[in-house]
Amino acid sequence: MNHSDNGGETMIDVNEITQQMSDLDEAALLQSLAEVINAGPESALAALQACQAGLEQVGKRFETQEYFLSDLIYAGELMTDAAALLKPALAEAGTATLGKLVICTVKGDIHDIGKNIVVTMLGAAGFDVIDLGVDVAPEVIVQTAIDNDVKIIGLSSVLTLAVDSIQATVDAFVAAGLRDQVKIIIGGNPVSATVCEKTGADAWAHNPQDGVTICRGWAS
Amino acid sequence: MIIIGEKINGTIPSTGVAIASRDSAFIADLAVRQSEAGADFIDVCASTAPEVEVEALKWLIDIVQSVTDVPISIDSPNPHAIKAVFTDIEKPGLINSVSLEADKTEVLFPLIADTEWQVVALLCDNNGIPQTSEQRLEIARQTIDCAVGYGIAPSRLHIDPLVISLSTDQTSMTKFIHCCQEIKSWYPEIHITSGLSNISFGLPLRKSINQSFLVLAMGAGMDSAIMDPLDRDMLATLLGTDALLENDRYCRKYTTAYRQGKIGKSKN
Repeated sequence: MNHSDNGGETMIDVNEITQQMSDLDEAALLQSLAEVINAGPESALAALQACQAGLEQVGKRFETQEYFLSDLIYAGELMTDAAALLKPALAEAGTATLGKLVICTVKGDIHDIGKNIVVTMLGAAGFDVIDLGVDVAPEVIVQTAIDNDVKIIGLSSVLTLAVDSIQATVDAFVAAGLRDQVKIIIGGNPVSATVCEKTGADAWAHNPQDGVTICRGWAS
Repeated sequence: MIIIGEKINGTIPSTGVAIASRDSAFIADLAVRQSEAGADFIDVCASTAPEVEVEALKWLIDIVQSVTDVPISIDSPNPHAIKAVFTDIEKPGLINSVSLEADKTEVLFPLIADTEWQVVALLCDNNGIPQTSEQRLEIARQTIDCAVGYGIAPSRLHIDPLVISLSTDQTSMTKFIHCCQEIKSWYPEIHITSGLSNISFGLPLRKSINQSFLVLAMGAGMDSAIMDPLDRDMLATLLGTDALLENDRYCRKYTTAYRQGKIGKSKN
């Protein structure tokens, strides 16, 4: 059992929180988080990580077809609520932000379900996420990165055609002379190691949790 | 959606035999399985000869209460039989039913006036089931006024507009929809219920008609049903329709029922 103890007042059980998130047991999770907030800042960070671990399990249960798309959306909402609840306590703990990150669905593609789930998880992980939405042109992405001094770019796609837009976006960073100053991660149905190499992106992911882990590695 | 599980009813041949032979295991099994399937009330109807009905009801009530916490829907055409077993029922449930026939409201409304009991009210009177929806709505008005007079709030009423079989009345469904919408416009918090299967009497493929009825009736505001929760197809239709009507956040009840094997292909 992994307990976080704050002055011996309240014990929180992070495994229980992970399980509650994984089971999408909203009532129990909110109850646990309320106890965490009372237990103090240190517990809040442990609880947030426990929620993230639970969300990762939700992703796995989705892959095995135990969970459905509506469950995944629900999990995203729960994670957003959890992060919002824990935010004040986390701020008190002086938890460092992982910095800014730009994400969007690339030009010619309007699918945003997967992207939105990743946005939620990146936010929960501590990133200051700039979400440009869907069907976003390369020049908009580059300009946003310049204006906000952003070092990490996330490009989402579902359509095979969108691979061309990924290529165009990477090329736009090259043309702007910024390619060596940003890390680009691509995600979604059509991406693969081959696509990643061909387009010149830095990394790729199908699983939201993998994507978050990669971004976190870059940020630190 | 409120599900009133109909399986413990002496008019169903196998249940009738179980009641006559006092086969308590059979009754207990029906109570447990309906509870597990998600019934909000377990209907208990003896359908025996009048002189032995009270005894049969008491026997049924004892069994149901010993195996499930789901409240009982006490079902008899005789209000005095309901009154006679009322105190045997441990927690507030549902009276099934009153109407403006004879002394039903006078016997049963005072009984539940200061309780949390709910009650099914059929839209018929001493002249039977009215032909037009206007006449039924008039009965609904009188019934609701009468209930409110006893301090029974509309939210405790399940109005059953009564369904004539489609085979004998082509306007049966449209009348039902009209009644639903009108009554809900008076009191949004009132429940509308129905015994689903009457609609398909005399037609082939009754299940298909019953499912279509359920969907259309729920669309018109019906939020309670006297049905068999062990009918997987019917339950799937009900849960799917409830999700479509925005009554199931993130489709949780629908997907959970599927995961638990209550709907979809049987895993047994």
